[in-house]
Amino acid sequence: MSGGRDDEGLRDLRAAEYVLGTLDAGERAAFELERTLDPATEAALRGWERRLSPLARAVPAVRPGPALWGRIAAALPSGGAGREGAPQHDARLAAAGESLRALTRQVRFWRRATAAAAGAAGLAAAGLALVLAGPLRPVPPPGGRSVAVVTSGGDLPALIVSVDAASGTVRVRPLAARAPAGRSLELWYIGAGAAPRPLGLVGTEPARLALPSEAGSAAGGTLAVSVEPPGGSPTGQPTGPVVYTGKLIPE
Amino acid sequence: MLPRDIDGGEDAVLAGLLERIAGRDEAALKALYDRTAAKLLGLILRIQRDRSLAEDVLQDVFLRIWHAAGSYAPAAGAPLPWLCAIARNRAIDGVRRRSEVAMPSGEAGEAYWERLSAPGGGEDAILDRDALVACLSRLDPTQRDCVVLAYCEGWSREELAVRYGRPVNTVKTWLHRTLASLKSCLETGA
Repeated sequence: MSGGRDDEGLRDLRAAEYVLGTLDAGERAAFELERTLDPATEAALRGWERRLSPLARAVPAVRPGPALWGRIAAALPSGGAGREGAPQHDARLAAAGESLRALTRQVRFWRRATAAAAGAAGLAAAGLALVLAGPLRPVPPPGGRSVAVVTSGGDLPALIVSVDAASGTVRVRPLAARAPAGRSLELWYIGAGAAPRPLGLVGTEPARLALPSEAGSAAGGTLAVSVEPPGGSPTGQPTGPVVYTGKLIPE
Repeated sequence: MLPRDIDGGEDAVLAGLLERIAGRDEAALKALYDRTAAKLLGLILRIQRDRSLAEDVLQDVFLRIWHAAGSYAPAAGAPLPWLCAIARNRAIDGVRRRSEVAMPSGEAGEAYWERLSAPGGGEDAILDRDALVACLSRLDPTQRDCVVLAYCEGWSREELAVRYGRPVNTVKTWLHRTLASLKSCLETGA
């Protein structure tokens, strides 16, 4: 897309407002998608981070509570076992817990943070609700492809999920998604007002999964990833914490 | 172009820690935590406004740093702003996802303005800071406060609209004009 001067100006203002923090949740999510797709947007963002960063020094430091480091260390691979003066952890437990603690902690946080906002779709109450406002590309390609960038709230998307309605496939490209030790990550499709449908397990390699037939028009659907027993949910419905959610938008 | 390496001491330490963290060195994450956690919690707390939620965000930020340290590129800027951006982004994501409008803290923009103008920091930070302060000081005080309150306290357009008794669209226009003139001032001195 060759942006004219107006497009560039608007892109720069989106980047500026993103850094300032005044975009709403949908605009922020759309901008995060845009920055992963467009290097010029990423550059505009870096420019504004640099320009405004001196403001951060006007904010007084606040010492965290003494227990906080212990909580962070417990979520690291060693489970905090190497920590000086730390309470001894059972090594097996620490290994098995690995990043599950991090994930459940994260989910607990987002549950609290989004409790008021999460009227939508039941599942969203447990997830990292990410509403993508689109479309970002002016001309939808033929075949009705959709893409969801699923993030856990950080800079890098956790997964990129692209849906090709024409061939009825979903392609999953894991970026930062990590399954807790001894667990599987399972991908779900939730149509408007419908129960979650399992699409398959998310491994470490890109995978191609079949789309449920009712998802013919993918727009408006939601994708979610939950933590399940090895091999996937035994019930056909998500049983573990939902660690990622993302809405499908037309590409 | 401002020189960025006049006071590279702390930057070099933080960059070295990030490199070790990228190599899965947990002790380096602890060292980074000891040096930066209070700064980052300060940023998060002003935006998140709830101490317990703010500590949850901070925990999340350090786990994020644990996983993303390898993506820090020294060429793209100093390490502390990179860490601050992660902390601010996560804090803002948290408050924007909530539907209720939280009550902003009572601190006025002027208090930030005074702290911003106070001496301190490394040479390169001072140069960047002085340029920003000079450009902010040319702005209308109300519009300057909008920028400072949004950045430092995470005020939304809606909250700013309530505070200044103006429609949300007016606030959005203010912000766009203010940001555009700030950029032009910083880049050309005009």
